[in-house]
Amino acid sequence: MDDDLPTDFEVIVVGTGMVESIVAAACSRIGKNVLHLDSSDHYGGLWASYNFDGLQKFIKEVNADPKRQWPVYNLSEKWYIEKESSEPEQNEDKKEGDENKTDDSKAETQKKIWSQANFTAEYRKFNIDMTPKLLFSRGPLVELLISSNIARYAEFRCVTRVLTWLNDRLAPVPCSRADVFATEAVSIVEKRMLMKMLTSIVGYNEEEMNNEFKDWNDKTFKEYLTHKGLTPNLIHYVLYAIAGGTDKMPCLEGVKECKKFLMSLGRYGNTPFLWPMYGSGELPQCFCRLCAVFGGVYCLNRPIDKVEIKTLDEGKRVVAIQSKSKTLNCNNLVVGIDECPKEMLPTEPVETSDISKAVFITNGTIMPSEKEPLTLLRFPPLTEEGHAVTVLEVGPATGSCPKGLFVVYFITKMVKDAESDLQQYAARIFDFSGDQTAESDKPKCLYSLYYNVKDTSVPVQSVASEVHVCAGPDVGLDFDRAVEQAEQVFKKICPGEEFLPRAPDPEEIVFEDDVTHGPEFARHDDEEGDAQ
Amino acid sequence: MAKTYDYLFKLLLIGDSGVGKTSILFRFSEDAFNISFISTIGIDFKIRTIDLDGKKVKLQIWDTAGQERFRTITTAYYRGSMGIMLVYDVTNEKSFENIKNWIRNIEENASADVEKMILGNKCDLDSKRQVSKERGEQLAIEYQIKFVETSAKDSLNVEYAFFTLARDIKAKMEKKQEASNPAPRTGGHQLRANEQQRKPTSWLSRCSLL
Repeated sequence: MDDDLPTDFEVIVVGTGMVESIVAAACSRIGKNVLHLDSSDHYGGLWASYNFDGLQKFIKEVNADPKRQWPVYNLSEKWYIEKESSEPEQNEDKKEGDENKTDDSKAETQKKIWSQANFTAEYRKFNIDMTPKLLFSRGPLVELLISSNIARYAEFRCVTRVLTWLNDRLAPVPCSRADVFATEAVSIVEKRMLMKMLTSIVGYNEEEMNNEFKDWNDKTFKEYLTHKGLTPNLIHYVLYAIAGGTDKMPCLEGVKECKKFLMSLGRYGNTPFLWPMYGSGELPQCFCRLCAVFGGVYCLNRPIDKVEIKTLDEGKRVVAIQSKSKTLNCNNLVVGIDECPKEMLPTEPVETSDISKAVFITNGTIMPSEKEPLTLLRFPPLTEEGHAVTVLEVGPATGSCPKGLFVVYFITKMVKDAESDLQQYAARIFDFSGDQTAESDKPKCLYSLYYNVKDTSVPVQSVASEVHVCAGPDVGLDFDRAVEQAEQVFKKICPGEEFLPRAPDPEEIVFEDDVTHGPEFARHDDEEGDAQ
Repeated sequence: MAKTYDYLFKLLLIGDSGVGKTSILFRFSEDAFNISFISTIGIDFKIRTIDLDGKKVKLQIWDTAGQERFRTITTAYYRGSMGIMLVYDVTNEKSFENIKNWIRNIEENASADVEKMILGNKCDLDSKRQVSKERGEQLAIEYQIKFVETSAKDSLNVEYAFFTLARDIKAKMEKKQEASNPAPRTGGHQLRANEQQRKPTSWLSRCSLL
């Protein structure tokens, strides 16, 4: 089958991560002939979502071959529940087709006691993200999805609440007016104070902002908030929850983060954030779909072995790629950093701090609410040298897990290793006893996975101008850097071309030649596609 | 704006390259057969609203965008689909054998209760036939899926196939509703350009920019 693969393309994209996929879609959209490859058998690379089986395979694969330079390391997986259920198997679980009928009534009667076998049986209902991220409602990715019409391939849910860790407990951060009425944490006086400051932040344009804050360049955001007379509670909300910062956060950065948060309020829900249904890993695939619709050719399980730049007789340069004993040629190669052959990368490694991550699967939400919550929790650092920790809790309504469970992601900059960096935070909101029958005000953790990821988000210049290296996921909350980098790569390959112009809706496509009588309905070879 | 339909069903076409998925799609949605579409470039999905027992049913039928060629259909393609047409070419043995692989692929990625139907396309090309109708029927019985041979070119059974699939989905849906157990809304929101902007609920709504 692989032998059918054509060999000459204008653009070859290797790796199906977020940046690569956006570039592939953008090139294909304006008519470039694109081939898109990935070395593994699934989409997304480090940005992928896995069902439970896929996650197990991924862990196994990394652990089996520690010598290979995996961008993921320090994997530590742990179960807190029995292998097999001690109860007699409920036959409801077997009859998957009736899932809607059974689960509701079950939830009402009794909380399910989960076993590892239950996870295995329901593996398909999990979508666990390696790079969970949110979208700002007015951020660049939302705007791009809408303007390019790629939004039709995806669905989203609103993040229902933003929480923070204040005075040793979870506290909701008031985002909407309703929240403010409901909360007792903010007094009327404080509210006015806060309003005044936030309103001014939103009002500044770039120039005014630089002007207003010119004396604050070497000072922290916390100093600024203190200077503005905010009470400690308010400083906590603004600095840790809204700006997602730490005590060391530079003033201007804090102001910009605040502005981004505030600007995205009031578009879709109570918070400024959206979460993609079925996980962040869906999003690169949406861009791949657009690329394919415009003629991009897709081939997974196709590692590349070698990349060379060849100069042809006329002085024209082509990129020649060796893959499975076939040579693929293109004018421009776009390659994800984790798929890029070493000879194409600069010899000096980029200094970065890596990322610590964790995935917890629990039997309930960290803070009960009327409807199923979708939560962003921002922890301020609990230790002197630590960083802020981002926590995302997603439930069954997002297509992330079976009913009765929640998937909770932890992300922070690495200090020591994922487990030491994150365990202390997790311990504050989960019960790790594994005893699902005992009463507890915290959800029970049933499964945990800690891991570190190399931070490959700093753009790297390849040694050849025809080879464009795409950065990996960053520690940030959103996709903004990925979108920005993808546009830059596209502009280099296709200068002067529009970046992802709106794709027409199906009803707008009018076919000129609507004849019903065509020549003989015969197909001559397999290459030609569907309509022969 | 009033809804112009009672139901919206997302349907998928699945099967090997060259079996005529796009032709079937065009036959059904445009009542046209045009061999000038060499591949499926630019074809995302087509819409046709049909009348089923007095209800307007809007069918949104998605094409594979050529991603079936090297078995690289995105998991995202299957999301939210309610019915799947599995298509093979009666003049191509391999495409028939691969139906089993496609079913496995569907089981892995689509919702467990998705309605399926097998189509043996190009049945007008009897002289080149490699797969008998009986074998198609046998396979369908094995998987307990409905089956029909079609010809997109001669407009044979294409209407019948989509109406049958849509009717089965509708019946299943109504059965669920009758059981006074309406399926919970599983989907999320789609983002749109002309999104009716919510009345700003932000407590900063007095601010001119928000």
